Amino acid sequence: MFKPLDPLLHSELRLAVMSLLISTEEAEFPYIKEQTGATAGNLSVQIDKLSAAGYIEVEKTFKGKRPCTLCRITPTGLKAFEEYIDALKSYLEK
Amino acid sequence: MEENKNLTAERSLEIITEQIERSRRTITQNSSKSLICWGVCVFVFALLIAYLWKNCGGPVWNILWGAMWLFGCLGEWLISKHKEPVGPSFVGKTVGQVWAIFGIFIGAIGLFFCLNGLGLLSVDFTLPHGHLYINLTSIISLCFGIASTTTGAILKNAFMQICGLIAGLGGFFVALLLPGVEQLYVMAAVALVGLILPGVAVYLRNKK
Repeated sequence: MFKPLDPLLHSELRLAVMSLLISTEEAEFPYIKEQTGATAGNLSVQIDKLSAAGYIEVEKTFKGKRPCTLCRITPTGLKAFEEYIDALKSYLEK
Repeated sequence: MEENKNLTAERSLEIITEQIERSRRTITQNSSKSLICWGVCVFVFALLIAYLWKNCGGPVWNILWGAMWLFGCLGEWLISKHKEPVGPSFVGKTVGQVWAIFGIFIGAIGLFFCLNGLGLLSVDFTLPHGHLYINLTSIISLCFGIASTTTGAILKNAFMQICGLIAGLGGFFVALLLPGVEQLYVMAAVALVGLILPGVAVYLRNKK
């Protein structure tokens, strides 16, 4: 039986962002942009969606005089990611 | 990377693996620069102190290890300015903690013997049947080896683990066979094998 896949995570860019944040405690917006190869606009939209779902938290801060956007995964996001992996397994095992 | 409604399970797995691997590579790459920095510092200062010890004034030049620490910190600061902006991670933090603990132990031992040597402390280590001989280079080499091998295990790098074992155990026993100033050459070799070589290998392997 296939388990349902979280539609919020079942998107290339959002999944890439979550996977990146899994291995680091937090990451800056430019780093995520570089690693995922996404455009700033698209990435910003997807980050907002993940943030609205409570999967990640976004902190607007300053690095010297320059604004800096930090993203980090939340416990809700971590749980959702684990469930997504678990669901993914049911598809791959078939 | 665009929105894809028909994302397959295989592609999802590929994305997850790819991103985790990218992140791990960046963390490893950043760690390798610190290893090279401190390795070069120890290597250069060990040879410099050995030269000065032999040619102008004796073991008093060991005081330069303090200057090495300053150079190392300066190098670390410069590296941090050019590091890829990956955030703090468990792996990165653990590697940092291993070397910080190594630094605390070696720094404390070094400072103690330095102060004792300068006569600012008057501790006389004795055993029931005579004086205690402590081979500091052996102890430092062993600690170097342990820290380097542990770092290799954390970063899942077999070459670094082998280098750490060779540097730690090799340095420990060879330093026991050599007197005074010659031990500094052992220290330089330990830095070369235990830090510089694995650092360069990791850097080159992860270079984009």
